[in-house]
Order: sequence, then structure tokens, then C-alpha cells
Amino acid sequence: MNWREVATGLALALWSGAALAGAPSLLESPSLIAEVKDGRLPPIGDRLPAEPALVTSFAGSDGPGQPGGEINMLMATPRDVRMMVVYGYARLVAYDENLTMQPDILESVEVQSGRIFTLRLRKGHRWSDGEPFTAEDFRYFWEDVANNSELSPAGPPLDMMVEGKPPKFEVIDEVTVRYSWSEPNPNFLPAQARAAPLMIYRPAHYLKQFHKRYGKPDALAQQIQAHRVRNWAQLHNRLDDMYRNDNVDLPSLQPWVLATRPPAQRFVFVRNPYYHRIDANGVQLPYIDRIVMNIVSGNLIALKTGSAETDLQARYVRFDNYTYLRQGAKQFGFEVRLWETATGAQLALYPNFNYNDPEWRKLLREPRFRRALSLAIDRDEINEILYIGMASPSNNTVRPRSPLYREEYRTSNIQFDPERANRLLDELGLRQRNDQGVRLMPSGKPLVILVETAGESTEETDVLQLVADGWRRIGIKLVPRPQTREILRQRIYGGDAMMTIWAGVENGLARPDSNPAEFACLSQSQLWCPKWGQYRETGGKSGEPVDLDSVKRLNELALEWEKSIDPERKATIWREMLELHARYQYTIGIVSGVLQPVVVSQRLRNVPEKGVYNWEPGSFFGIYRPDTFWLAGR
Amino acid sequence: MLRYVAKRILIMIPTILIISALVFFIINLPPGDCVTSQIDELLSQGTADATAKADALRIMYGLDKPLWLQYVNWVLGIFSGSFGLSCQDATPVSQLIGERIALTMVLEISTIIFIWVVSFIIGVYAATHQYRTGDYVASFIGFIGLATPNFLLALVLLYVGKVYFGISIGGLMDPEYIDKPFSWGKTASVLQHLLVPVIVIGTSGTAGMIRRLRANLLDELQKQYVVTGRAKGLSPFKLLVKYPLRHAMNPFVADIGNILPEVISGSVIVSVVLSLPTTGPMLLNALKTQDTNLAATFLLFVAVLTVIGTLISDLLLAALDPRIRFGAKGEK
Repeated sequence: MNWREVATGLALALWSGAALAGAPSLLESPSLIAEVKDGRLPPIGDRLPAEPALVTSFAGSDGPGQPGGEINMLMATPRDVRMMVVYGYARLVAYDENLTMQPDILESVEVQSGRIFTLRLRKGHRWSDGEPFTAEDFRYFWEDVANNSELSPAGPPLDMMVEGKPPKFEVIDEVTVRYSWSEPNPNFLPAQARAAPLMIYRPAHYLKQFHKRYGKPDALAQQIQAHRVRNWAQLHNRLDDMYRNDNVDLPSLQPWVLATRPPAQRFVFVRNPYYHRIDANGVQLPYIDRIVMNIVSGNLIALKTGSAETDLQARYVRFDNYTYLRQGAKQFGFEVRLWETATGAQLALYPNFNYNDPEWRKLLREPRFRRALSLAIDRDEINEILYIGMASPSNNTVRPRSPLYREEYRTSNIQFDPERANRLLDELGLRQRNDQGVRLMPSGKPLVILVETAGESTEETDVLQLVADGWRRIGIKLVPRPQTREILRQRIYGGDAMMTIWAGVENGLARPDSNPAEFACLSQSQLWCPKWGQYRETGGKSGEPVDLDSVKRLNELALEWEKSIDPERKATIWREMLELHARYQYTIGIVSGVLQPVVVSQRLRNVPEKGVYNWEPGSFFGIYRPDTFWLAGR
Repeated sequence: MLRYVAKRILIMIPTILIISALVFFIINLPPGDCVTSQIDELLSQGTADATAKADALRIMYGLDKPLWLQYVNWVLGIFSGSFGLSCQDATPVSQLIGERIALTMVLEISTIIFIWVVSFIIGVYAATHQYRTGDYVASFIGFIGLATPNFLLALVLLYVGKVYFGISIGGLMDPEYIDKPFSWGKTASVLQHLLVPVIVIGTSGTAGMIRRLRANLLDELQKQYVVTGRAKGLSPFKLLVKYPLRHAMNPFVADIGNILPEVISGSVIVSVVLSLPTTGPMLLNALKTQDTNLAATFLLFVAVLTVIGTLISDLLLAALDPRIRFGAKGEK
């Protein structure tokens, strides 16, 4: 018997007992019953795919729950509506809480020798407006968006290019598409599971009206006028961004869809009645009916969180709010959990290998100099004073939970040893000092290091203050220099910033199959070697070629990793790269493992006690699947 | 008189034009533009071709054109009722600021009324009871108001409001009323939330006003006509209200011109701290991200208010005070 027929038959019978082996009988969500009765919404059996995703394991310990209810969250800017795409975390393939990749929106995915990807959709899957989600939506994106020179002047997304070549795209049938490259593309699937995913599909039925090839010219011209844009491409680009999530009319596959038209100060997200996941009792996810996002200024969020104006909050709350939150927890009845963070270092110092001053550049590229700087930081003191001893001193490298972790990656050259640091600097010939005890370079310039910060939080300046105390003991003066984030980036890229303090590597939980590009100089966004990265990114048009052997080796390894499909080889590549980092100390990590307070309402279930709060991989709450969170009581 | 008003209004036009041009160019002085601030975000989306995308955005916002042309386009747009696109979310500026300006007006007008009422009462009391306990207490409170940083007072009052009175922190209404149509509940909620910001923004203005009123009134009270009036047996209340107080009122009116922009700019920080849906936080953010159209529109609005405020206060002064109306002639 076909699942779909059964489902249709049961649609209106709420607690129907006709259970099928393996497939639970479906239950209508209480909040949707009225709409189904009125005929405004088809019954549940007609809304779900033929093979819905059956959820049997939960990140929290509370198991399947009851549908209904509303939760509040606080955000700092209206642009945070995209966080619902991050938290919602419906992806073609998604990481589970152990960071293993699983099909999610897709029914299955088949990979041949790392280069041919066959994606199979769920038959009968629908967009949030009830229209079918099919291979046509993939074709539309590939042919009419990614390969349309007006919509994508830069061509298809880089993650879909292997050695500059696009894949061959085929529609096999209504629910099957295939992408084949001539060489392996290790980035393709991980890009789907990202917090900010590479969306390779678009709701074609909705967007065609804005596309020159399909839309009616008159209506299109009117729309262009109404949105005050110049041409159809701008209009399309503005309306089709599924990650920005700011178009109310854009159909979605996420568990909750935007219901408030921006601009607003309060955004309501309502359940997607066509969402593809159900639990073992036949209840359609998400459990929670509505999510309300209140936009308040960022500096008030901790204060408001402490007085229970939110039901689930981690964003904009920091570890130094912990004691205040605990105090409110008693009075207002919420829980404060401490989750791990996964960045390689909470903060790290990035010497700029492409700094414009030649004398300084030479010094910054000298491994012994960087080692001396690292040895002169009293990380234990920083940990005790700023993180009440709950973090751990660390280089900017992978975290202990990563399978690639080795003790020496974290601990080499991090013990506080000013004598050794002084010896290293003496060896470098920096013996002269001025009357303030600051060492002088051969040219007579004092060793004054300007460390630029994005100036967004006091945490960075506090850390720098303590670093400066240590460096003073080895005759180096540190001067912090706050900038705005945008200007800072430009100064780094242009080689005007000598050193930067910034968060450490994003993925401290790397596995052999995670891309090691963060540890090489392949992109301009590498703060310690922006021009080398730019050189590779632009194919040599701008930037500078790498002229340091160990960094050349890093780049070779990272590129080899991209082509390799052998997991053993991938692990060896990772090891060698991490060893190079430990040996040459390209960046100077300070502490890692700073905990993230997660405030959870006492009514909210299934939020794990212990978790990892991370952007990539992790999607913040995403991998714990907030669609499985539910509200007790009421 | 009519000639004078017409002349003043004509002068306003070039003044506002010059202000708007200055503002527009100053916002664009720092390196980079509003698209630079979005590159970070594009990078975090994993778009490696961020620079190519940024260029496309620049064309969309017209940032590829020379600055003077951007300015001309923006000014021409104003005459057709469009203030251009906000660079942050590609929304027309007019859509973003409408409601905010309305709420800002509500807040500012309440604040001005608060300043006037409080400082009038305290100022008159302090002047008539000079060097007595009441005067010292009033002056003390005034100075405290002047000396306490606004944002600190804001945070303290917020916390007290939440913990002891259950008023939700920040904002101008309870969350459930946001974006809802007008209702009594909403009005009540707005009034409740107005209290903290009005007191916070008002305290420093009040302090200054009390001092001025007190000083002016003290000057007047020494004058001979007061002594004469008292000698003729006028009741103390009538003696105070009928003559010296009228003289001393001048700063109130003269301040309309100053107080409008002062209250608007002074409330930026408080609004950010209190997370008020007024123009302040949006202006600050627009300036930080170099969102030229949005920021320039706000500043233009502030400039227009200042100019109009000055005009109104000048006209009112002339109407109220014959000494000003007749100007130099009266002195002879």
C-alpha cells in the first residue's frame, strides 16, 4: 500500500489508530485544524512528501513532544531575520549533532568517486506556499540564475567550480538531478550543510515572474518601478535571496517562514505547513507554532535576557554576562547553560606577513620573533582574570574534540617564559634599547607593535592590555588601535595594519574531511597573509605571490586536499598543515574553549544541556534541530 | 513683518542646501563605502567571489558614479518624494523612517514639555526663595541631573523599572503592541515606556533651564519697578506673575530653536541604550555603515527642524517682547 494514499485517507481523522508498520499515522497540528476545516489548507497527508523525514533521535533528552506555542528571541538588527535560516537548518544535506552529514531535504544523495553527485528529492515535497518542489527548481537556479550573465555577472558560485570549470547538470526525472565534474569537488556537499548554505535551488514558480526570460514585460516593468530598482536583474537578486530571508513572498523550505513584512521591529515566523519532517508519533515538525523575534539594541540584550524577555538566547550574550544571568535565573525562572565554543582560539593575534614596511615585514616573517611574542604572553593570567579560569591557554589550532587534535598543537610555545623570549630576541640582534627599555631595530626604530582591533567589544582591549604587560618585559611596546570593522579589513588587505586581534580559526572541530583552507593562504580573508591569498584568488591579477617556502607548502597541501578522495591522505595532509602551524607560529592564539551562555526558558524542552555553540559547522542551534524543541505545560 | 518672515524663509533655502551638501560629503569622507561593510557579511556566507558581488551592489546603489553626481541624484530625488535606497537592506529610505520620525516627535515633544514644566516650577521657586533650603535642594537636584551621564541614568532606571514595576526593558511599547494598529492598550503602553526616556533625556535640559530661569528672574526681582510695585501694595503673587516673570520667560521661547536639535541629537545615545524605535539608533547605524542616503536624509531632517525652530522662536520672541520688536528704536 502506498504511504501517500494512506496518509490522504487519514488526513482528517485526528487520532486515527490505523498505524502502518514503520510509518506512523499522521496527526494534524492543532493550530492548523481550523484552516484545514475551512479548506484554506489541504489536510496533512496532502502536505507532506510521500516519504517524509522521520525523526527518531533528539538532541535533547526529552524525546517527542507536543505541538503548539510561541517562543520569543531577541536580535539586534532587522537583518538578523536570516538567523531563522541558520537556526531552522533545513538543508539538502545537514550535519547531525555528531557532525556527520545526512540527507535532510533530499531523500538520498549518491556520490561517485567524489565528482558525480546524484541528488534525489522527496516525491511530493512542497514549498511553504504549497507548490511542488521539483527538479525544475534546480534547473531554474543552474540555467537561469547561476549561468545568467545579468543575474550572476561573476558566473556560478565558486564552490561549484572545479579548476575553473562548471559541472555538467542533468535533470534525470522530476525528483532527480545530477551534477558531474571532471575532477572531485569536495566542497559541494559541505557547502549545502553550511550555516550560510549554497542554495542551488530556487522557487522557480514564484521567481519566473521576475525573470526576463519568463516574466510578462509589462508586469515586470511595473515591479521594477515599484521596487525602485534599475533593471530586472537587480529586482530578481533582491527578491530571491533565500538566506537573507527578508522577502515575505518568497516560498521557503525552512521549518518557520517569515510572516512580517520588513521593515519592522518585531518579526513573527510561523510554522511551514508543508515542512518535511515528522516524529514517530506522526506529529509534523516543527513543534513550536510561532517564533517571535524582537529587535532591540545589542547592548540591551544581555539585560533583557536576564529578565526573561526571551525563551532561547545565546546570540549577543557573552561569557562575562554569566553571573548576571545566573542571578536573574533564580528570580525569573530560566536556565543558563554553558556550551562549548569551537573556534580554534577565542582571540588570536595575526601578524601581517604582507605589511608594507620592509623592515617590519622581515621581522614579522621571522619565526623566532613570533615565538618570542607568544612566549611573552601570560595566558594563565588572562584566563584567570578575564575568563574566571574557565578557558584554556591555547594556540590558534584545532580543539581537543577534533579527531586531528594533538596536545603539542595546542601547547607549543604557550608557556609564559620571558627569559627564553628575551634570549630569542637577543639572538635576532635586537639588543639595543631606548631610554624606556624598548628594543630598537637595526635602523633605530623602536619595537612598537600596533595591534588593530575591530573595536566592537571591550574583551579585545582587555586582552591586549594584559598582553602588553607581558611584552613590556621583553622590551616590546604594544599599542592597541581600535578601528571600525570595515576600515580594519581594508587596512589589513592593503598591508597597512601591522597586527590584528581577531577570533581564531572558525572550525576548531575539524575532521579529515573538513576543508583545511583556513590554515593556508588561499583567500584574501586570511588576516596574516591577505596579499598572498588575494594573488591566488584573483589568479595572479592582484596581490603578491607567496615567497616563503613553508607557506608555499601549506598552499600545496590545501590544494592537494581538494583533489584527494582518500580519507587517509586527507588526514595526513591535515596533520602536516597543523604541524607547520605549530612549528612556525604563523598566528598567536591566546585562549580557547571560552564557554557560551545559553539561556533557555524552563518550559522549553529538547535543548541539550551540553552542546557546542558554533557558526560553522554547527549553525549555532541548527545542528540540534530547533524544529524538535517543544514547549511543556500551558 | 511680512517682509521679514519672507526674507527669513528665503534664506532658509540656501542654508538647507549648503547643510545637506556638507553632510553628504562629510559622510563620504572616510575610506570605503556602505558596500565595504557588507563584504564581511558576504564572506561569512562563504561567497568567495565577494568582491565581484560587491561591485554589482555598488552599481545597484549608484556608488560607481562620482560623488557630486550621487549628491545631485539624491537632491533631485527629494523633489519627487524619494530619498533613495538605504544601502543596508535596499529598502526605500522613506519607508524606513516614517514611523520612526513620528515616534521621535512624540518622544521629543513630551521631553520638551517635561523640561518646561519641571524647570518652570523649580526655577521660579528657587528664584523667589534664594539662598534658602528649598533653593539649595532644587539647585542640588538640578546639578545632579546635569552631571549624571544620561546613559548611566537610563540603565539604572531601566533596571529599577523592570525589577520593581515590571515594565519591559527598553523600547517604546510592550513587544505585543509593536506593528499593531492604534489602540488604548497601545497608547497606555507607550505612555508607560515614555516615562524613563523622558526623565533621562529631560534631566540635563531641565538643569540648564532652571539655572537660566532662576538667574533671569533674580535679575528682574532686583529692579526698581518691582520695589515700586511692592511699595504700592501689590500682592506678592501678582507682583511676581504680572511683570518679572514675563521678562524671565524669554529664554524659554528663545530656546525652542536650540532645544529641538539638542534634544534630537542628545537623545541618540539614550535611544541606543534604551533601544527606542526613534531616529537616533538608526542614524547612528547609518553613519557607522556609511549608508549615505539614509544618514543624509536624517541629518537633513534635523537641519530643517533647527532652521524652522529658530525662525519660530524668533517670531515668538518678537511677538511676546516689545523690546525686541522695536529693537534699537526702543533703546533711544
